[in-house]
Amino acid sequence: MSLAFMVFLYLFLIATALVISAIGDILSAVITLSVFGILLATAFAILQAPDVALTQAVINSGIVTALFLVAFSQTERPPCYDKEEEKEE
Amino acid sequence: MNIRPFLFRITALFLCAFLGVMLFRGIAAMPPKESVTGPAAHYLERASRETGARNVVGAILFDYRAFDTLGESTVIFTAVCGISMLFSRRKFHRSSSGLSFIAKRGIGIMAPFLIMYATVIILFGHISPGGGFQGGTIFATVTVLLCVVFGSSFESSYFPPKTKESLESGGALLFCGIGLVGLAAGTGFLSNLSAGFPAGREGSLLSAGTIPLLNIAVGMKVGAGLSAIFYSMIKMLDTTNDYREGGPIR
Repeated sequence: MSLAFMVFLYLFLIATALVISAIGDILSAVITLSVFGILLATAFAILQAPDVALTQAVINSGIVTALFLVAFSQTERPPCYDKEEEKEE
Repeated sequence: MNIRPFLFRITALFLCAFLGVMLFRGIAAMPPKESVTGPAAHYLERASRETGARNVVGAILFDYRAFDTLGESTVIFTAVCGISMLFSRRKFHRSSSGLSFIAKRGIGIMAPFLIMYATVIILFGHISPGGGFQGGTIFATVTVLLCVVFGSSFESSYFPPKTKESLESGGALLFCGIGLVGLAAGTGFLSNLSAGFPAGREGSLLSAGTIPLLNIAVGMKVGAGLSAIFYSMIKMLDTTNDYREGGPIR
C-alpha cells in the first residue's frame, strides 16, 4: 500500500480515538468506536494479518456496537452527573 | 479554581506519552522481518507438513495450542452463563414489532448470504483466513440483525434459546470428545495427526485431521453463546421499555 494511504489511515485512527475519549455524547462515542474498529481492521489487513482483521471487524463493529447500544438504551444518565459537568465547564 | 482536574490531566498525558515511547522502543527492538527465528520459524516451516492445514494461524490455534483454545471457549461459556443468570429475572416478555418494511425485506434478502458467509468461514478455517471464532461471531451478528430488524420474538422463534443452549453445550462436548479420541489413541489430549486422523491432501476441504472438526465445535459454541448473550440483554430491554412505535434500539 502506498505511504500516503497509510498516513491517512493512521491519522484518521488517532482522530477517531481522540473523538471517542473526548466526546460527551455516549451514542456518538459508540458509533465512532465502530468506525475506529473498521479502520483498525483495514490496517490489520494491510499489515498482512487477515485473521486478526476479520476478528476485529466482526467483533468491534458488530457485536460490541450492538451490546453497547443495548447497554446505552438500558441505562440512563443521572441528572446530578450533568450538573457536575456543567460546573466544570 | 480547582487544581485537581488539571493535575489529573497532566498526569494522564505523561502516562500516555511514556507508554507510547515504550511501545515504539518495543517496535524498534523487534527482529527484522526478513529473518524469522524461534518457534515462528518452526511453525512456518513445518506447520503444513505436521498438521496438513494451509492456514498457519489456524494450525497453531487448533493443533499446537488447541488446549488454549479450549480455555478461551470456556471463558465465553462462563460469560454466557453469568449474563444469562443476571438477566433471567423475567420469563415472559413483549417483543417489539421491528423496523420498517424496507429494512425487513432488505435484511430478509441479505440474511441467507450472511449465514452462508459464516458457514464458509467456519468450514474453510484450515485453508483460508478465518476459523471457528470469526465465523461464529458472524453468525451471532446475523442473529443480532434479525433481533433488531424483526423483533426479538421472531428471532427466538427461528433460533430458540433452548437450541442455542444445546448448540453451545454440544460444541463444548464435541471439542472435548475430539480431544479424548487423541487420549484414547495414546498420544495425548487434542493430538491431531499423531492420533491417526487422516491428513488428506493439503488445501482440500477434507484435510488437516481434527482442525475442521474443532473449527465447527468452536463456531457452534461462539455463535450460540454470543447470540444468547445479546438475546438475554435485548429481552430485558423489551420488558422494561414501553413501545409506541419503532424498534428496540432507537
